[in-house]
Amino acid sequence: MISRKRTHRLKALVIALSFGNASTMVAANAVELTVARAVDADSLDAQKVAITQSLQVTNLIFDTLLTMDKDGSIHPGLASDWRVADDGKTYTFTIRDGIKCHDGSIFDSKAARESLVRALDPATLNPNRSAWGPITGSAVEGNILTVSLSERYDPFAAFLTSIQAAFLCPSSFAGKEFKPIGTGPFKFVSWTRNDRIQLEANADYKNANPLIENPGKPHIDKLTFKVIPEATARMAALRSGEADMVEPSLEEAADLKIDRNFKLYTAELTGQQMLVAFTWKIGPLDNLEIRKAIGMALNREAYASIAFADLVRTANCTVAPNLFSADQALCATWGVNYDPEEAKAILSSAGYTPDDPLKVKLLVSKLAGWDEMHQIMQQDLAAVGVQAEIETRELAAFYDYMKEVNERTDGEPAVWTLGMSGVDPDYLYFLWRRPGASNMGLNAELDAMLEEQRKLSGDARAAKIHDIEKYLLTNAYAIPLLSPGWGWLMASTSRVENFKMGFMVSLLFNDVTVSE
Amino acid sequence: MLYLVSRKVLLALFTVLVVIILSGFLIHVVPGDPVTTMMARSVTASPEAIAEIRQRLGLDLPVWRQVGLYVWRVFQGDLGTTVRGNEPVLTLLMQRLPNTFMLAVAGLVVALLIGIPLGFLAAVNRGRLADTAVMVVAVFGVSVPTFWLGLIMIQVFAVKLGLLPVAGSGWRNIILPALTLGLTHCALVARMTRSALVEVLGEDYIRTARARGLREHQVLLVHALRPALISIVTVVGLLFAYLLGGQVIVENVFSWNGIGRLAVQAMLERDYPMIQGFIVVFATSVVVVSTLIDVLYSFLDPRTRMQ
Repeated sequence: MISRKRTHRLKALVIALSFGNASTMVAANAVELTVARAVDADSLDAQKVAITQSLQVTNLIFDTLLTMDKDGSIHPGLASDWRVADDGKTYTFTIRDGIKCHDGSIFDSKAARESLVRALDPATLNPNRSAWGPITGSAVEGNILTVSLSERYDPFAAFLTSIQAAFLCPSSFAGKEFKPIGTGPFKFVSWTRNDRIQLEANADYKNANPLIENPGKPHIDKLTFKVIPEATARMAALRSGEADMVEPSLEEAADLKIDRNFKLYTAELTGQQMLVAFTWKIGPLDNLEIRKAIGMALNREAYASIAFADLVRTANCTVAPNLFSADQALCATWGVNYDPEEAKAILSSAGYTPDDPLKVKLLVSKLAGWDEMHQIMQQDLAAVGVQAEIETRELAAFYDYMKEVNERTDGEPAVWTLGMSGVDPDYLYFLWRRPGASNMGLNAELDAMLEEQRKLSGDARAAKIHDIEKYLLTNAYAIPLLSPGWGWLMASTSRVENFKMGFMVSLLFNDVTVSE
Repeated sequence: MLYLVSRKVLLALFTVLVVIILSGFLIHVVPGDPVTTMMARSVTASPEAIAEIRQRLGLDLPVWRQVGLYVWRVFQGDLGTTVRGNEPVLTLLMQRLPNTFMLAVAGLVVALLIGIPLGFLAAVNRGRLADTAVMVVAVFGVSVPTFWLGLIMIQVFAVKLGLLPVAGSGWRNIILPALTLGLTHCALVARMTRSALVEVLGEDYIRTARARGLREHQVLLVHALRPALISIVTVVGLLFAYLLGGQVIVENVFSWNGIGRLAVQAMLERDYPMIQGFIVVFATSVVVVSTLIDVLYSFLDPRTRMQ
C-alpha cells in the first residue's frame, strides 16, 4: 500500500512534470528569462553570420575589442586602450588582463590575434570580411595586439565596436566542430535548432560597455531564446507567461504600449535608415527633376504615423540618426521636401499626369509596416501622376533581384525602398562605391569622395561625409524615409526591468532584473 | 510475396534516384544566384569575396559536373551545407525528421480515432439523423482553416485555461498540434470509412452472414470492417504522406520543430542546399511510407498478391 506521504510526493512529482520544466525544478532560485523571437539564429559562429537574429545572440556570448556609447564615442572593450599611428595604418590594442573565456581559458593578445586571423581567413566565409578593412597583418607582443593596414581606414575603430566584429576564444574553433566559447556576459548551454537557445550568466564577466550599468555578472541566471514564428502565438506566449519577452508584431505593439501589464521597447541606437533609391540608369529616372518629383510626393509623416503606428521617426539623412556625422537639420536643407503640388507640376511639365501617368515598378521587400507604407506610397505617387506597380520579394530574393535590375540601362524604370544599418557612416561606401552592393554605385566623383572619407578622421571626415550626403540628396539619388525600420521592437511583461537595446538592435540583458 | 516486395523496393529506389537528380538541377533552373543570396544581408560583401565563395562552393563548374557531384555526394550521405550558417544539411534534417514523423503519426492517430468511429456510425445509420450529423461535422472539419483552428486552440487551452504550452517540441507540446491536425483531417477518414462500409454492407456475403443468424456486431466488425479497411488503409497512406509535408502551417503556429518549418524558412532565404536536401529527404520518406503501405495493402487484400 502506498503511504499518504508517498502519495503526496508522487502528486508533487506529477504536477512538477506536468506544469513545470526541468530547469525550474533543479534551480528554484535561479532567475530565468525567456525571450520569444520569430526567427532562430542561423549559426552561433559570430564570424559566419550576417542576419540580426544571429548577431543578437552571438553578441551575448562574444565581446568586441572596443565599445560605443550613445553619442557615438568609442570606449574600451576587450582592449583597455588603443592607439592609432600618425599615418593611420597601424593600430595597437592593449588587451585587458585577466579576461577569462567561458571554458576557463585565458583570453589574451595571442587569442585576440588568432580570432582576428580567422575572421579574415577566406576559408571562414565571413560575410562581413570586407568591413574589417584593408588589414595586411597582425602581431603580438606582451599584451599588445598590433594590426597593420595597407592604407588609412578610419571606420576601423567604429567597426570594432559592432556586433559583426566579435572576438572568439581560440578554443571555440580549435576542434573540428565549432563551439561557441567567448568572453561575453552569457555562456552557451544548448541549442536545439529552430526551437531554443539556452544561455547562462557568466559569473566571471567584467563589463566595459558604457551602455550597461552592471559591472559584473548579469542579474539573470538563465536566458532562453525560443523560436515562435507566428506573431499571434508569440503574443499568446507572452500573455500566458510562457515567455517574459517577445518580438511583438507592429499591430500588437500599439496595444501593448497602453497596457500596464506589459512594456514596449523601441530601440533608439539601431543605426538603421530606410531609403528610396532609383534605377537611375533607366529613363526617365535618369532625369534629376523626375527623381525629385517622386521624392516630393512621398509623405514620410504619414508613413511613420499610419504604417508604423508612430513607433519610428522621419529621418532626413542617408546616415542613420545617432551615427557619427549624422546631422538631421543639415540634411533637411539638401533633400527634397514633401510638396505634392510641386511634384505634380514637375511631372506635368514632363508630360506625365494622373490620367496619363509615368509607369514605374515599386520594388520592395517584405517587412512589417513596410507593406502598409508601400500602399500609401503608391497612392501618393498616383496623386502626382506616377503609376507605381508594387512588386514585393522576400529579403534574400530582393537584394539578388536588385543587383540584376540595377545593371540594366533600359526597360521599365523602378523605385526601390531599402534599409541599411551599421555603426558607422562607412556603409555608404559599400552601397554607393562602384560597383556597390547590388550595383548601386554611381560615378567616379562619388567614388573619390567615398574613398577620401575613409582616410580622414574627426571633423574633416564628418565634413566629407556631409559632402557625400549632399551629393546624394541634392541629386536625389537617395530619398531618406524613416528610422528605424526592422526588428527594433521588443515587449515584455511588466516584471522585467532595465532591458536595453544597443547599436544594430543588439539586446542588452546585463542590467535586467525580473521582479516577483 | 518476396518478388512483390523486391519489385516495390526497386521501384522505390529508382524513384529516389530520379528525385536526387532533379533536385541536383534545382539550383540551376530557378532564377537568382545562391552566393548573392548568401551575402544579401551583408551590405559589406565585396564582389571579390562573392567570386571567391562561388569558387569554393564549386558553382563555377559546368552544370553537368555540379549535378553529377551532387548525386555522388548524396549517395555518400552528404547533402551539402546550408547557405545560412554553413551547417550540414543532413544533420539539420535528421534532427527534425523524428519530430515531423511524430506529429504526423499523432495527427493521424487522432484523425483515425475520431474519423473511423464517426464514419462507422454514419454508415450503420445511413440516411438517418446520425448520418447527417456526422457528415455536417465532416464538412465543418474539412472547411475549418488549420491556421485558425490552431490559434483558437492556443487561445483556449494555453492562454485562457493555462493547461498546455503555446510553443515547443516536447511531449506536452504535441497535444494541441496533433488535435488540430486530427480534427481537420478526421473528416476525410470519416467520409472514406462511411462510403467503404456502405459499399461493403450492400454485398451479398453480408446478407448471407446476417441470414446465417450472426449477431449484428459480428457482421459489422468481422465481416464488414476488414474489407472496408482496404480503402481506409489507402487513405491513411495518402494522408500520412500529406501530413509529412503538409503540416507546415501547424508546425509554424505551434512552433513545432519539424522539417516543414525548416523547409519554408529555407525557401524564404533561398537556401538552395537546404531546399534540395528537404526534397530528397521528404521524397525518400514518402516513398518509404508508400512502399510500406503497398506491402501492407497486399497483406490485407490477397487479390493484389495474385495480380
